[in-house]
Amino acid sequence: MASEVILPRVDMDMATGKMGRWFVAEGERVREGQLLFEIETDKAAMEVEAPASGVLRGVRARVGDVLPVGAVVGWIVGEDEAFDPDLQALAGELRALLGSSAALAERASTPSADARGRATPLARRLARERGLDLADVAGSGPNGRVQALDVTLYERPARAEPSSGAAQGARLNRLWLQKGEGAPLVFIHGFGADLNGWRPLLAHLPAPRPAFALDLPGHGGSPLAGDSSFAALVGAVRAALAGEGIRAAHLVGHSLGGAVAAALAAERMGGESGFRALSLMLIAPAGLGPEVNSAFLAGFLRARSEASLTPWMRLLAADPVSLGAALVKTTLRQREGGALVEAQTRLAESLFPDGVQAFGIRHWLADPATPTKIVVGAEDQIIPPRQSEGLSGLIAIHRFAGVGHMPHLEARREVARLVEELAKAGG
Amino acid sequence: MSEAMRELTYAEAIREALAIALEADERVILMGEDIGVYGGAFQVTGDLVERFGEDRVIDTPISELGGAGVAVGAALTGMRPVYEFQFSDFSMLAMEQIVNQAAKIRYMLGGAVNVPVVFRMPTGSGLGGAAQHSQSLEAWFAHVPGLKVVEPSTPHDVKGMLLSAIADPDPVILFEHKLLYKTKGPVPEGDYRVALDKAALRRAGRDLTIVATGIMTHRALEAASILAAEGVEAEIVDLRCLRPIDGEAIVASVKKTTRLLAVYEGVKTLGLGAEISALVAESEAFDYLDAPILRLGGAEAPIPYSPVLEKAAVPQVDDIVAAARGLAQGRV
Repeated sequence: MASEVILPRVDMDMATGKMGRWFVAEGERVREGQLLFEIETDKAAMEVEAPASGVLRGVRARVGDVLPVGAVVGWIVGEDEAFDPDLQALAGELRALLGSSAALAERASTPSADARGRATPLARRLARERGLDLADVAGSGPNGRVQALDVTLYERPARAEPSSGAAQGARLNRLWLQKGEGAPLVFIHGFGADLNGWRPLLAHLPAPRPAFALDLPGHGGSPLAGDSSFAALVGAVRAALAGEGIRAAHLVGHSLGGAVAAALAAERMGGESGFRALSLMLIAPAGLGPEVNSAFLAGFLRARSEASLTPWMRLLAADPVSLGAALVKTTLRQREGGALVEAQTRLAESLFPDGVQAFGIRHWLADPATPTKIVVGAEDQIIPPRQSEGLSGLIAIHRFAGVGHMPHLEARREVARLVEELAKAGG
Repeated sequence: MSEAMRELTYAEAIREALAIALEADERVILMGEDIGVYGGAFQVTGDLVERFGEDRVIDTPISELGGAGVAVGAALTGMRPVYEFQFSDFSMLAMEQIVNQAAKIRYMLGGAVNVPVVFRMPTGSGLGGAAQHSQSLEAWFAHVPGLKVVEPSTPHDVKGMLLSAIADPDPVILFEHKLLYKTKGPVPEGDYRVALDKAALRRAGRDLTIVATGIMTHRALEAASILAAEGVEAEIVDLRCLRPIDGEAIVASVKKTTRLLAVYEGVKTLGLGAEISALVAESEAFDYLDAPILRLGGAEAPIPYSPVLEKAAVPQVDDIVAAARGLAQGRV
């Protein structure tokens, strides 16, 4: 089947993107993960990897074209696959026509000039009752529309931990990585990473499930405002999910993100948050024991150049090649300006004081309410894999030989299969 | 299930209501094309002609204007006629009798006479009947003061509402979706009544309200169980009565859920959904809306004959799921 190559969102505020050069020409063979084309933003040229292996066909974007995010710029098709780009485009239009009513509901929200001052009637009433000026409230709805949740969150400025988390949640960078049918998968990355780290895994998911990912506070495109406690991270993610209207999902978390996912899944037992985890997948999770590779944390945070960062990044995977060549460059690019490193240093001081994981998730996993799997690499040099021992027999432990701290990249096919299996089990 | 509560099909429930009314009141007569020996186009009247005779189960000529006129006339003399259209589409031929006569006479004669007639109308698409046998014209009749218009979605409701309609002093139009005739559900024995002005809450939910009628109620319920797996809890209001419309039930539900999706098979523009939307927008529920109101109606086209296109022309479960999902997540 032909895979669409789309113009991805590589920058937080990006609505359109300018095509840079293609690294692969029409008709040439391409391997999944190979650099395919560049997007030029105001700041830099970003490289985009091929979403599948095959032959590049139907290239419909040239250098300098300015296109909306999500625009189809070409297709990757099988070697012998019959392919007609016009027909492909026509089929898309036809689908849109037939499903016009449903398409209306799904239509993309295009920012309009008069977006300011939009608010739903409920948001207006709540603002009126609370004596709030709507102009002060940032809208998270389509076209910047202020919805009830925005007013509610605005009304409770940073006080205690959960509220601080909620305020951060509204600002978290988040992205639907793919659309699909059924309950969404929610991906939460680990310390020092960002949501883009899930893309290689996603390409291997057998069923097209909706996939949502976010950047934790102090990571990727999300600022760290105030509180750097573990509870504040959980609160921020909880608020971001609520803001997105996600009330039930399959949680997939890596490392620190795994601990956050476990905390969110456990809240269901309390029943307060309104969020329900349908299943829980913890990849090399943090929070199961005290030790963490403190030399890595310190070195990772201190590194300012390719030469100093690369040796530390090598510790992440048993076979560093599996991480991809771009990871070091991307990590360094994000560190320009220093804000991210500063935020992550603060987080590390709070979460890993004196080289110890200061938060624990074992008590939440004692009696898991949802199907739960833990994936660990036997060669993990960041968090000792033995920490996943001694948990409830209801939790499946998948231990991969020859894999380090990044099973979702190092054994992406296998982990994708496990994610799918678990999502099926979770309903 | 108690002894008095058996499973009947929608068609059997109608037949039982007709039999009870024929038994209880000698003024009740059935009229329509091929409702006698043939048993009705959708086999609803079945063997009633054998049980009650040709004087009370009357085959009428293929002239809807004539048949409906006789029914209205009979009602004026004190009879309680139930006239069956083979397809609601054919009621277009009888609009003069329904809209200009039946609906107006009590008003124009200062209440001196009533017109207690019931028009039964098989409605909707899904059986490959093409453009002239598949329409959903409920909104046309619901626009006319003097008529009562109902569209029951379950065997229980259709029996109770038909008995209420026959007993009612005014003309009642009963829409029966063709795809419902073979659906089964619990139906109490004997005579019972279901009100002609009350909606039914079919499923409680907190995230959005779906207002639907007839077959769409069933599709909305199916959609709701899919949405529930995603954590979206839809509340389903089965409208049942289009005139008078139960605005209170809709407003109460929207105040609770803050979001509204109207689903109906009739053509979207100037249809049932327009009324439901406007009713909510004009009500106190307006200040509770946290998203735009959404209508999911039939395509702006005659119902196609091709089964693929016929399906595409009216809302299906997937369409409802997609629309509700977008609405619940504030992406409209």
